[in-house]
This record gives sequence, structure tokens and C-alpha cells, in this order.
Amino acid sequence: MPKERDDSGISRRRFLKGGALAPLALALATAGGASVYLRPGEAHGFVLRPPGAIAARRFLAACVRCGKCAQACPYHAIRLQDRSVGIGTPYIAARQIPCYLCPDLPCVKACPSGALDPKTTEVEKVRMGTAQIVDREGCLSIRGLRCEVCYRQCPLIDQAITLEPRHNPRTGEHTIMEPVVHREKCVGCGVCENACVLPKPVIVVRETVEVQRDSYDF
Amino acid sequence: MTSRWWLPRRAVQTGTILLLASPVAGFTFFSGNLASAELAGVRLSDPLACLQAVIGSGVLIPSFLFGALLVTSGYFVFGGRSFCGWVCPVGFLTELGEKFSSKVRRGGRFLPLATGRYILAAVLVTVAATGVPLFEVLSPIGIMGRAIAFASLVPLLVPAAILLVEGVAAPRVWCRSLCPLGAFYAIIARFSPLKVGFHRERCTGCGDCVAVCPVPEVLEPLWDQGACRVCAGECTRCLACLDICPERALSVGFRFKKEPHSVTDVGRPIEKSAP
Amino acid sequence: MGLSRRDFIKACAAAAAFAAAGASVARPEWAEAAEDGITWGKAPCRYCGVGCSVLVGVKGGRIVSTKGDPAGPVNKGLNCIKGYFLSKALYGKDRLTTPLIRKGNRMVEASWDEALDLIAAQYKKAIAEHGPDSVALYGSGQWTIQEGYVASKLMKGGIGTNNLEPNARLCMASAVVAFMNTFGSDEPMGCYDDLDLGDTYVLWGANMAEAHPVLFSRLIDNKLKHPKVKLIDIATRRTRTTKMADEFIAIKPHGDLAALNAIIHVILRDKLYDEAFVAKHVSFKRGKENAPYGLKDKEAFNETPADVKNLSFEEYKALMKPYTPQWAQKVSGIPAAKIEELARVYGDKSRKVNSLWTMGVNQHSRGVWVNNLIYNLHLLTGKICKPGENPLSLTGQPSACGTAREVGTFAHRLPADMVVMNEAHRKKAAGIWGVPAEKIPAKVGLHTVEMFRAIDRGELKCIWIQCTNPFQSLPNLNRVRKAAQSRKAFIVVSDIYPTRSTELADVVLPSASWVEKEGVFGNTERRTQQWFKMVNAPGKSKEDVWQLIEFAKRMGHGALFPYPEKGMHRAIFEEYRKFTLGTGKDLAPYGTYAKVRGLRWPVKANGTETRWRYTEADDEHVAKGEGIKFYKAPNNKVSVWFRPYEPPAEVPDRNYPFWFCTGRLLEHWHTGTMTGRVPELRRAVSQATVELHPEDAKRLGIRNRDQVRITSRRGSIVLTAEIGGRGTPERGSVFTTFFDEKKLVNEICIDAFDPLSKEPDFKKCAVKIQKA
Repeated sequence: MPKERDDSGISRRRFLKGGALAPLALALATAGGASVYLRPGEAHGFVLRPPGAIAARRFLAACVRCGKCAQACPYHAIRLQDRSVGIGTPYIAARQIPCYLCPDLPCVKACPSGALDPKTTEVEKVRMGTAQIVDREGCLSIRGLRCEVCYRQCPLIDQAITLEPRHNPRTGEHTIMEPVVHREKCVGCGVCENACVLPKPVIVVRETVEVQRDSYDF
Repeated sequence: MTSRWWLPRRAVQTGTILLLASPVAGFTFFSGNLASAELAGVRLSDPLACLQAVIGSGVLIPSFLFGALLVTSGYFVFGGRSFCGWVCPVGFLTELGEKFSSKVRRGGRFLPLATGRYILAAVLVTVAATGVPLFEVLSPIGIMGRAIAFASLVPLLVPAAILLVEGVAAPRVWCRSLCPLGAFYAIIARFSPLKVGFHRERCTGCGDCVAVCPVPEVLEPLWDQGACRVCAGECTRCLACLDICPERALSVGFRFKKEPHSVTDVGRPIEKSAP
Repeated sequence: MGLSRRDFIKACAAAAAFAAAGASVARPEWAEAAEDGITWGKAPCRYCGVGCSVLVGVKGGRIVSTKGDPAGPVNKGLNCIKGYFLSKALYGKDRLTTPLIRKGNRMVEASWDEALDLIAAQYKKAIAEHGPDSVALYGSGQWTIQEGYVASKLMKGGIGTNNLEPNARLCMASAVVAFMNTFGSDEPMGCYDDLDLGDTYVLWGANMAEAHPVLFSRLIDNKLKHPKVKLIDIATRRTRTTKMADEFIAIKPHGDLAALNAIIHVILRDKLYDEAFVAKHVSFKRGKENAPYGLKDKEAFNETPADVKNLSFEEYKALMKPYTPQWAQKVSGIPAAKIEELARVYGDKSRKVNSLWTMGVNQHSRGVWVNNLIYNLHLLTGKICKPGENPLSLTGQPSACGTAREVGTFAHRLPADMVVMNEAHRKKAAGIWGVPAEKIPAKVGLHTVEMFRAIDRGELKCIWIQCTNPFQSLPNLNRVRKAAQSRKAFIVVSDIYPTRSTELADVVLPSASWVEKEGVFGNTERRTQQWFKMVNAPGKSKEDVWQLIEFAKRMGHGALFPYPEKGMHRAIFEEYRKFTLGTGKDLAPYGTYAKVRGLRWPVKANGTETRWRYTEADDEHVAKGEGIKFYKAPNNKVSVWFRPYEPPAEVPDRNYPFWFCTGRLLEHWHTGTMTGRVPELRRAVSQATVELHPEDAKRLGIRNRDQVRITSRRGSIVLTAEIGGRGTPERGSVFTTFFDEKKLVNEICIDAFDPLSKEPDFKKCAVKIQKA
């Protein structure tokens, strides 16, 4: 009863389409997909996630890539990855806009799936990562200049970053005011990385490494 | 009952896109995307996304689960793959793409509909085994949602690739046969109360309905087995068949209303007159 | 921008090679060294009053690098972060490069002739119709000495008005008046060496860590080397300085006036003073009291010699009786016991005690008095004019001392401590300038606040603003901006970038900046530093001296400036130097400054500098055996002034319950016209914030980074809240910075000023705070 299908016969045009265009289309499609998924997500393997993000591997599964955290961020600091296996997951490009540590954590509240742990309530207990001075030779403050921008901009000034003054032997009469990161206080918000005045920031947020607590008692 | 279903359907499809874009314009009644959203304070979640997240991470947030159940029950009521036909922006996109490709290419059957089920199974196995929520990573639905809400444009290569392949090689292959979300809804909606009913006595056998149907397989039982309702979960409830049928031989309604009438009055004559 | 050790060694080696090659090599006058095609010359830093030396690397007519000068005695190769990016301040994308003339609401490009002819015509018209006092020139502590000198000669010796003011009125005027009425000569007796040599440092209202970065690093080094060194920070706000201090003493705004009196009370009561020093060097005086706050236009207040009453030591002691620590505790918020302790700090004969202060003391409606009271502490205890033991007023601009104060570009000043009110001084100036003595008016010109009020009143017809940004930096800004917007005066602005002042100008002139011209700056410690022109200014930009002399020619005063085109700066300086010789402010010949990293005046006959004034140990003007001699003071006796407590101009009340204070921060300088063009500094600090005490913030429901509206009786602005950041004001106070040109915070400030110095009080007014 239904009509004979139109595509039952193979016309010349259809042959061309099916025969030549289809493989081409598939090849282009594969290239397109590959360019999205095979490009590296983050060069040094660490992605700065929004506050309260659960451990990296579980985060990738728990995050449903809905972008609500990004929409909740008043500073537009949270962006969504557009490549690799983490596609659609939120991250913070601290050099562009760091996390300003809203006390009410709107991003955590927005997260539906628990990828940002809803038990996160105190912003100062957050561990997004840990700031680290990665180029001590480049750091202007360590070279004796009065920079210390990272220290003064740190939202946990005098806790997460302190200044440790020491004599500057080169001039003989000045002080080197070295910014020192305290990993037990640093939340990894990236404000320091954002503020660093050098073209390649010498203080950057890296993965928080759990320090082995020794139990030696002397 | 009007037979002009295309208008409300297009309105809902467009409305979905506007909803996804609304946060960009500064509105606050909607946030998120089709994976998880908050609409007027109600948390909604894609059940498959939820399933993957829970399996993959072991984290279970009650409100998340509740949102997923809410959505599941919604689609259960409306039936079939109404998500695909009415809401999904990829469905919308491929439909539009189809309009631009040659008429002869319509209604092709490149892969069996059941392929989606195997893909769904593969997705769930992958997430359980590796913790990688495969479908959330690859989903063109998520990609389109984020492209609309966050101008994240590079990944649009994926839906573009789908369009390309569908346009020249395998018509509607993504939605019909590959999308695991479609397969998921097809499974849960097999027993949904809202169905497309068939009034055999009015059918002239012109075949317009089959030609217009994105998943013509679902109509086959009407003739092959003399069914009086479209029972297959794969029906997208696009209702294009209702619009196109000159005899109004198809209608839509809830099962509890239609069943006594259609089963007794319409079902039997088909069996008798079957060739 | 290298500053590695290797760079230093290389630069030094190159310099040595250069020197060895000697004059046989053709090279620019300014070049001290060359390597890799980069030619290096020396210059003082363009920013603050610390006066760091920098090396400027030039290649292809452009500054390609700057670095701290290892030979610079102040900074020994270091810089703060502003100085590190110094060259970028000149290379902002929006440099002004051509003169602009207002046509309605548009600024139209013009030639120099058109612009200068127009200015001259307007000035001539105003002078013809309203007299010379209807025109004014508003300059800067960032003017070079030559610019200030030409301006002074033109206005006072040429046009015949004393309407010449520097923006230093806003920062150093109180220090100037107190130096003059205490010592008879402006500027400190001590120098930066005191920071290396002292034992105790008391900071009065100074955030040295941010406002004088390199100097602070030097002070802290003294502390690191000598554990006995103690730093006491007395302030209304906890700052980065507080963090490094040994002790913080919170004080209520304006409480210094009470606390200082009470410390003196204890010193007198417990006989902690140096009897012999007092007997030999000190006379006691009481000035005019119940002073106004300058809030009414034309409110005159002067302390003439007739108003001054000489006191005996006993009379002075009696007057100081009521100022007990218990009383001061109520007024200043400092516990009485702490005041007693501070008195013993100053009275401790075993320790070298220094006082350091800046704007907390100077920008004060009784700023001169507070300066006087600090000197009183040092004069009573004899802790002055000794290495490592001095009061030191820190300045904020690179040449507030050199130009505004030494050249004397104030409405009442002439070069080298002279004043227009004194006939002998006018005669001396007229002699050197080659003008009739009666040309220089004896009437003091309009001081800064009155100058801009006079625009509003329609009395001042023309004003030329050079090298400063008054329409962002003046207090009660709404009034002066409105006056300018309604075009009540003809306004000329010379600057290097579009600013909040150029937007209100009738004529905008593009200036040359820093090493785009030759010049001399004088820093806090009397160090005179010279530099040569190293690069050309962009486009048609011209240096301010050229602008002024071209204007002078059109005004018929060209004969006053008969300087050769080549060597003009040298000629101007040498002419100015005549004022200084034999006055105890003696400068060296220009050629000397070209060779050295600055010299501290008075420069001795043998060409060496003076580190400590008024002492036979170092000052040539004091004969051997005289010990300490205040040779500039009348009868060689310095004045200890009785200065009572008088309340501030505006006090928080029910409607405006908070104190409002403004200040500077390390990353940006003043109104940010230069540092705002440095992307790195904008990245570091992009906007002004308002600092609140955490408890106040909590009470008002304000959280960190919330938008906060600050309203005073004069204006209202919205700023981002900063709680628990680099600074925390005391309860009931808020603090903000004034660098942000998008936030005119001075709209909030009251235009009350010190009746003696006419310096406005940017540190105290009443505001209300709301979450915006």
C-alpha cells in the first residue's frame, strides 16, 4: 500500500553523492570531531576548577556540563572548556579573570550534580589549587624590587601570602621582601597569578599537592 | 483538534533555543542547559546525564535525582521521543538541515533504529568502567546548548559534522540511530499514555505519512501487523503525519481514552482485510 | 627590562669601556654607556619624591629599557614597580601630540602659533580689562627646576602677579610653613642616611611601605641589621607599613594634635627635655589661635609677626599643663599610658629617635601645627641635626622640594626661602631678574583652593595648568569642575595625555615629559638631580619651558628669557643658582650635576654635598666649635610653638557617621595619568576600592567586593568594597585612593584647609556609607 520509495533506484546523481561525497563528508566530519576532542585541554595537565570542585577524575564524571556555575559567577571568571575530554566543564583562566571568592559561593550553589561539593560553605577552606612562585629568578620582589603585587592583591593577605623581609646583600642597605605562599592557607583563587606584572606570571596556581604529614616528634 | 501541529512544535523548538539564550540577555528565570537547568526555580535534569554522573562519580545529590525523575516522568507522559521532536536543538537543526538537502534523500534508513540502544549501553558501560561520561563529552546537544549560552563556538564542529554526514551520506542518522539520549527516551516512553492512533477506515494508503515521518519504521506495524496505535518508543511525536494526512486517519490522544474505541472498532477490520 | 646581576655587571663594564674611550668617541652628551646598540643615560625617576636614580636605555630614538641605577645612592639599582615600568608611562597609545583648541564641544587640532596666539590674546584681554591678578598659572611639583623658575620669573617678574601656584600646595605646603616658622629655612636638616643610622622611628600618618617604597626597604634593612631598631606606626589605618612595624598605635582622625601636645606635656612634666639644648637654641612662641577652616570664600587668616607672642620656657610649660595624657586619651584614642610611653621614647637619651611623616600630617586642617608639634618633640629633647636622629618630612612628588619649594612657585614665595611680602627679597629677585623691584607685587597671590574658587566666582579669567591634573585632584571637586564646565574662565592645560583636566580645557597643549626634555629635580633629602634629553617628544609635543617662553614672547616679556637655544637649561639653572649662593641653600654649577647622581645642598665650596644641615660636623655654614647653629632662624634660635588643640572642620554625625580618608597606593601614582597607561600596573590594580573595617562592613551588610555608595555633603560615588585587604581603617573610618580617573573621589572631600599653609585636608571629612 505505501508508495514505492523514491530512493529504491540508484540514479547517476545519487551514485555520485553516495559514492564520492559520502566518504568526503565522513572524512571532514572526522577531522572536525578530532579537532575538538584531540586538542590538548590544558598544557600542564592542571585545570583550575571553580571552588569546591571534587577530585579531578570524579569531577569529570560528576560535571554534567550545564554551565550553571559559569552563569552564576558575578565576575564571569568561570568559563567552559571547549576541547578535549573536559569539554563543557567549567574552569577559571586566572590570568584573565581569577576567582574573587564570593562569600556566598554562588557557583557552588548553582551546581546541580555535586561536581562542586555542596558541603563547601567557607570560602577560605576552598582548595582550588595552590599558588606557587615558579620562577624565582624572574620574580621582581625576590630580585629586591618593591613589587609584591601578588601579596597586596591576595584576598588572604598575610595568611596565604606573607612577606618575608631579608637583607639585600647586593645593595647592602635595602630589604628583599619576598612573597611566600603558605599552602595550608592558599585557596588557589588565582588573584596573584592574575595580578603578576610580568608578561609570563611568575606566580601561578598549580595543583594542590597533599603534603605528607610526618609524625616525628622531637 | 486542529491538524496544524507544525506551528506549536516549531514554537516549542524555537522557545527552547530562546530559553537557552535567555541568560545571555540578562534574564534570570532560566539557567543551565538541557543537561541540567533551573526554570522558574524548579531544578530539571537530563536523566541520562544524571545517570552517567551518578555512575561515574558516585556522587548523589537528591535534588539532582529528583530533577531527573521530573523530566523522565514528563517525557513519559508526553510519550515517545517527544524530547527529540519538540525540544532538542540538534533535532531542530537536523530537521532544518534536511529541508536544504535533496527531497529524494528524505526518510532514508541508513542504520537500524536499534543501534542507539547499543550505543546507550556502550555509554553506560564506559562511564562505569572508566568514569568518563562519554555522552556528555560528545553530546552535540550539550555543545549546541553551550554554543548558544556561552558562545563556545569551536565545538560546533561536531553538530556541523553531523549535518554534513546527514546531508550527503546518511540522512537523519544521528537522531534516528546514534543518539543514546534518544534511545534512552525511546525505552522509557514505550509505555507512555499519549499515543498516535490510527483510524484504518479512513486510510487511503497514499503513503504521505510514511514519506514525512522521520522514523517511518514506527508506522510499519500499522500495516504490517494491523496495529491501531503507534506503540514504538522511537516515535518523536512530531505529529507531521497528522498534519499531512488528507483523510485525518491519524490522531493523537491518551491511551486510556482511545484504547477501547480503537482496539475494538479499528483493530479488527485490519486483521480481517489484511492481505 | 632587565635587572639581573649580569645586566649590572655588563652595564658597568660598558660604562668603564666608554669612559676609557673618552671624548674621542662621538656620542650624545647624555650617554654614559653603550651596549648592544642601546645607549644608557642617567635620570631620576619620574614618579615620587624618593628620587631613585634610573638608567635609561635608548635605541633608535626610543626608550627601550629603564633600570635602577646601581650608582644611585638612594636606590642602589632598585626600583619600585612603578619605576620598573617607567618607560611605558611615556608610551601610552593616547599621547597628546598636537595642540587642541576648543570649538564648542569639540577639540580641534591647531598649530602651536594658533594656540599660543590665542592664549596670549586671552591673557592680554583679561589683564587689560581686569588687571594682572585676573590671570594665573598653576604648576606642579613635577615641573623641572627650570620650568618652575621660568614660570616664576614670567608671572612675578613679567606679568606682575603672584597668582602662581604649584600642586605642591596640596601636599607639602604645611611642611613648608612649619619649616619656615620653626627653622627659618625650608626643607629638612637630615637626610635618608638617618634611615640607616637611627634606633627609633616614629611614623606619624605615613604609609611609607606603599608611598615611599624604596625608602621603606632601606628603613626595614636597618631594622634587619640592628634588632634594637624599633618602628612605631601611629595612624588611623592599618597598612602594609603597620605590618612591618614593631608597634601600631591607632589614633582617631585629628587626634595627633592632642596626642602630640600630651607627649610634650609628659616630656615637660617629667623633665625629659634637654635643658642645655633648649637654653641654647630654642625660643618659645605662641601664635594666633581660633583659626578658621577656610570653608568660606576669601576667608583671610594670617599669622603676622604682630600676632606672635614670645614666651618664656616657664610660660610655655604653664600653657602645656592642661594637655594631660588623660585628656588626650579622650581626644586621640591613644591610651594615656601609651602617651606616657611615647614621651619616654622621645626622651630616651640612649636612643637616636626619628620622626617621619607625610600627608596624614600635612593634609590636615591644622597641618602646620602638627608639623610644629613634631619639631617641638625633637627640639625639646635635642634630637635633631645629628646623624641618625632627625625629624624628616617625606615628600610625594619628584620635585616638590626642588621646584615648588626651592624655586618657590607658591603664591607667596620667591626663590631660596624668600617671600614676596619682604621688600628686600623682592629687590634681590628683581635684581637677578633684571626687572624693576616694583614689578614684583607684594600682595600674596591666590593660593590653590582660592585660585579655583576664584574661577567659580568669575574673578579669575585665565588659568594655565601645566603638568598636573587639578580637576581630579582638588577637594570639593564638584564645585571647581562645574565652574570650569560653565566656561567661567579661559583654561589652558599642558599635559602628555588626555586627563580629567584636559577635558575641561579651552586649549590643550601637548608636552614633553621626563627624558624627552632636559631638567633637574630636587627630592626629599635636598638632593638635586639632573638629566639630559635623550629622546624626542612625540609629534608636535614641546616642553613646558618652551611653551612658557614662547608665551612670554607673545606677552611682550621675551626679553626676560634671553637664553641660548643650545644650553638653555644650563643657562636657566645657572641664573637660578645665583639665588641660592651664600644662603645656605647653595647649589653646584650645572656641569657638576651632569656628572653625579645628585648632590644634597648646600653644596660646599669644594663641590661636596651636605648631609646634615646646621651642624658643624657637616654644614659649612656652621663654624667649627659652634656645634649646632640654626643660622637661618632669627637670632639663630628655632621656635618651639605652643599650638593648642582645635577640632577638625567636619566631624562625623548622625547623618554622616563615618570618617573619610584618601591616599596613595604603591602601584599607581597620584591621579594615575601616567601609571594608568602602563598595562601591567592596570592589571595589578585596576580600580579604586573603598576600605572598611570588617565590623563596620558586617554591621552595614557589606561584603568584600560589594558596591558601596559613599556620600558626603559635597558629592557621592560608588566604589567596590575591600575588606581585609592591604589596608584596614579603624572602626568608623573608610579609606580610598584617588588614582582612578573613573572615580572622582575628591568630589567627596571637603575643601577645608589649614589656615596657615592653605593646604586642604584630604584626610578627614564626614560621609555616610550604603550598600549600592
